[in-house]
Amino acid sequence: MVDDERTPSPEEMLRVIEEQSVATTRWLRGDPLFLYAPWGVAWMLGFTALFLHYGLDGRSYAPISQMQAVGVLMAGQLVAGAFVAYGIVRMNKTTRGDSNARGAMFGYAWFAGFALMVVICSRMSPLLPPQESGLLWAGSSLMLVATLYMAGGALFHNWTFFFFGVWVAAVNTLGVLLGAGWHALLTAVLLGGGYIVAGVLVRRRS
Amino acid sequence: MTTDNTLPELDPVIHAQARLRVVAALNVLGDGDEMAFNALRKLLGMTAGNLSVHLTKLEDADYVRINKTHRGRTPVTFVALTTRGRLAFEDYTKAIRTLLDNAGGAT
Repeated sequence: MVDDERTPSPEEMLRVIEEQSVATTRWLRGDPLFLYAPWGVAWMLGFTALFLHYGLDGRSYAPISQMQAVGVLMAGQLVAGAFVAYGIVRMNKTTRGDSNARGAMFGYAWFAGFALMVVICSRMSPLLPPQESGLLWAGSSLMLVATLYMAGGALFHNWTFFFFGVWVAAVNTLGVLLGAGWHALLTAVLLGGGYIVAGVLVRRRS
Repeated sequence: MTTDNTLPELDPVIHAQARLRVVAALNVLGDGDEMAFNALRKLLGMTAGNLSVHLTKLEDADYVRINKTHRGRTPVTFVALTTRGRLAFEDYTKAIRTLLDNAGGAT
């Protein structure tokens, strides 16, 4: 039961090493589709609802209130957050050590960032017209997502993660410059759709 | 490590498929990380008894470090590759590649 009965060939042993390394990496990271696609779906639905509310020329394309659209976005993000929470619980059951400590600090950074953003936006948004107020919330939350993704790339030495951050930053900048309607449209299509496509591609490649 | 004319010796501790898989799996973890025994068992598809036997051999060679602790009231065992184990795995991989090169089977 303990040792293999015959001496395996070098080819077999090299194959064992390669297969086990790949299988372990895949197993530890979990399915990348569930890391990216739920955020893609949340943003696609939420920002499409916001886009239909704002319209591109200041007239709504559908009878959806701003709060209803924000509700759709929040609900989607809660579901996506649940996937992240599941991943964290699974990781903590599987491994412990420096990577888990880094992951925990990174998680607290997200929490602290969003808490601070809520304070700043709650204070500033009553002073703005509704469209600009919505843009303040959406633009600052995506700014946080972009910078934390890039920081996460540095932390875990993961270029895919880093470039996701760059992508969010680029789309967010363009959207904020163009205004609330365009911001919602670009975010729904390029970030929502982009994250779904990216999740599928990363899964195929891994 | 070796010249082209001398065939490298393969580390007998690692040169058994089951232990090679254990070491290859643990080598994926970062330097300061450990994997729970049960997680490793599931990943490798081994029985607890079988994995224990292999881990004991690896521990005797100072290739793995076994850490028994508690999570709440539940005992949990964590396993990590030692620096010596990591080096042994690197040497073994190099030796296997050298053997394949000498056999003319590699690029």
